[in-house]
Amino acid sequence: MNSIKRAGFYLVRKKGKSLSLLLFLLVMATMMLTCISIQTAAKDAGANVRKALMGSFTVNAKTLEHGLEESCIEQILSIDGQSGNYNLRSYTQAVFFDKEGNPLTIRTEGAAAVPEGYEHAGKVAANSCSEKDTYFTEAGFSLTKGKAITPEDKNAVLLHEDFAERNGLTLGDTLFLGSVTEEDIKTEVTVQGLFTNTAEQDSLGRAPSYDLYENVVFTDISACSMLVYGETGYCQYGDFYVNDPEMLDSIIDKVKKIPGMEWQKCIVTKYDKDYQNAKSSLESLHNILLASMTVITGICFLILVLLLIFRMRNRVHEVGVLMAMGISKKSILIQQLLEVFAVATISLVLTFPASSLISGQTASSLLSQADTAEYEVVNLVGNTKQSNTQALSPQGTLLAEIQVSISAKDYLSVWAIGLTLCGAATSIALCPVLRMKPKNILSQMS
Amino acid sequence: MNVVKRAVFYIIRKWKKSFLIFSILFAASVLVLSGLAISDAQEEQTEELRGTTGVSFTVSRNTATGGWSSGAGGSYSTQEFLSDKMLESIGSIDGVKGYNASVRTILCLSDMDGRWLEQMLPKGYPMVDCQFYSYGCINSEYNSLFLSGALVMCEGTTITPEKDNGIVISREIAHKYGFKAGDTLQAVNNPLSDDKTLTLEITGIFDIAADKTDEKNNYNEASYYDYANYAFVSEAAMKDLLENYADVGYASADFFVSDPGQLDAVIQEAQRMDSVNWNNFVVTANDEVYERVESAVSDMGTLLSTLIVLITAVSAAVVVLILSMWMRSRTKEIGILLSVGIPKVFILLQYVLETLFIAVVSFPLSYFFAGRAAGSLGRIFGKTTAVILVTPQHFMTAAIAGTVLLVFSTLLSCIPVMRYRPIEILSQME
Repeated sequence: MNSIKRAGFYLVRKKGKSLSLLLFLLVMATMMLTCISIQTAAKDAGANVRKALMGSFTVNAKTLEHGLEESCIEQILSIDGQSGNYNLRSYTQAVFFDKEGNPLTIRTEGAAAVPEGYEHAGKVAANSCSEKDTYFTEAGFSLTKGKAITPEDKNAVLLHEDFAERNGLTLGDTLFLGSVTEEDIKTEVTVQGLFTNTAEQDSLGRAPSYDLYENVVFTDISACSMLVYGETGYCQYGDFYVNDPEMLDSIIDKVKKIPGMEWQKCIVTKYDKDYQNAKSSLESLHNILLASMTVITGICFLILVLLLIFRMRNRVHEVGVLMAMGISKKSILIQQLLEVFAVATISLVLTFPASSLISGQTASSLLSQADTAEYEVVNLVGNTKQSNTQALSPQGTLLAEIQVSISAKDYLSVWAIGLTLCGAATSIALCPVLRMKPKNILSQMS
Repeated sequence: MNVVKRAVFYIIRKWKKSFLIFSILFAASVLVLSGLAISDAQEEQTEELRGTTGVSFTVSRNTATGGWSSGAGGSYSTQEFLSDKMLESIGSIDGVKGYNASVRTILCLSDMDGRWLEQMLPKGYPMVDCQFYSYGCINSEYNSLFLSGALVMCEGTTITPEKDNGIVISREIAHKYGFKAGDTLQAVNNPLSDDKTLTLEITGIFDIAADKTDEKNNYNEASYYDYANYAFVSEAAMKDLLENYADVGYASADFFVSDPGQLDAVIQEAQRMDSVNWNNFVVTANDEVYERVESAVSDMGTLLSTLIVLITAVSAAVVVLILSMWMRSRTKEIGILLSVGIPKVFILLQYVLETLFIAVVSFPLSYFFAGRAAGSLGRIFGKTTAVILVTPQHFMTAAIAGTVLLVFSTLLSCIPVMRYRPIEILSQME
């Protein structure tokens, strides 16, 4: 009777023992596999936290003669790790003219001074998205009529209600914005919306006339580029939002290597305060995860080895009998290994559905929050698809769906580790027994 | 021979088997203890992570419900202001970790000899160049400039209510005049009037992290001053400096909550207060960051908890499996004991005792070991993991649950054997 046959018979005839070994290996393998998949998912969740904390950097290229060029913006956006959300900004002052070229009237009450050349001028704030301008986000401006400026808009302008009323302008009317310094630079813009301020300006009596809230206008990037640089395609500032604030430094380094820009003259500022605040807690959580994986793996191995040794000790008598029958030690070892490998194979096959079930349950029932978070995001994804060059709201953070799933690599490594461990533990357990003489074993047993 | 004696003899004489059972119990309880400790550490860290999102609520005057009046500067609201008492009572609610309200004014600063301090880029007009944009603060760490990271403390401490004559200045100014934390300087609101001149102590110095040249910040009065020319002054000192002007109170105040999850509850409690007429004030919650990260943070927590539940369940399963295997290998012994007339109850009792004796040794040892392991893991993964602590509570939980589990699984695995008569067992064995 050869080893294979003996192993097969042993497994079949000692059903109870085989079954309990199978159960045990199944439980251990499932635990390992599920742990690995949970760990991967938790890493994803950590990445999501970082993403949600958001990080951005601002390139201040105002000091450069030509500011930030369109080609440079494209290169910045092509760097890996960008979320694709960005906002371009430019600021200047402009003299306001009506269609016929007559200067318009500005508010002067409350102004500290009306500088020479600025009698009909106001501040121009240009944004890819006017909603993101600090006047709207911080100073309490709100749109009352029309619509905000978006990256698609060309030659559009938003006026203060007071200014519009003073000059008899309304939605759809056109006016000219003229450069304060160079008389021949003028650009025609159409009133696309009206706004008002909800809070009083705190710098009344200190601000020059052009900075009064009533004299501020908002326009798009290209109209402002005409005013500032005399041609389109340039802006002064760019805010770029990244996916993972952890990558912010390396992305900024890459940005500074883009050729054709005098980076030493620009100011690149990073904004990641929320991430910096949360950084140490996030790292701790990650370490806790690592620690738990280490403990689980270590203990798992220990228990597995102990159990196989335990099982082996019950079979010392059997080994003695086999040896007395003249069966070689090698084939006894092979028989034992075959038994364990057969059971291990079955349990490793079964562990996949078992672990998938647990993982699936975890993902579907416990992580329901992730699903709702994803729904909010779907709309935003829709926006992104419209155009690549479109600047998105920084709130449009796209969180990856967390999947608790088992990758082929993890599964294979569990196979490899499981089989190696079973083989090693069986051999180790069998060693002391095999070293004894059959006579000693049998006399010791009875 | 009584039950206890038999149990002890079995453990000693079958010491290899006992040692194996001991090892398994030990390993399982180390796993469970670490699991409990990790789960606690995880909860604590998740809480901390939520806390770092800096959730607050703002109480401000409701200009919509108040009256309006007009004066030289245009129309203004006559709505009630927030008084110190209101701030204190809202600030004392459980869960509020701090609050801040600011008064802004332009202070003229001078050294102790009365020489005016000049701004970083003086324009050449002495009475303008000594002007510093100053915030009178209750807690300067909660000022939006510090919260947003635009300014960062680099020396000394922030302004707190404990210090009534403190001032925090920029590093540029401190460097220009050789000031360091602990030095004193003088401040006056309007040197051309009979406003009081006060001596202030520099409690701290801040660094500028933001790009002030970025014009996105140019929407208010603060934009006309470089960050280097900013100063933060104790509330009490500011009141003294402005004693010639009516103290109306604050237009708004920010209250910072320690646990973001409690924000709504804290706001509700504040709104139940009779000392504040809530018709005159509006409350806005500032939990944008928290809202953004919350789902991802709780996912992370859930995943780690699942891991812990899983390892606890597996540990229990392993122990039950091992015990039943052990008991099954002792069928013959049960048959012999039964045939010599020992009652089933005593046999059961003996087995339970054996398991418990082993457990009594392995549980405390695993407590000791898990505590050590947590400490060494802490060293491997950096000091942050030192938060993983195995507490006596964890031990109690694991020990009680473990004992119950052991007793039940021993009894359960003996039941099939106990149903037989001794003769059946013995003949079956041969």
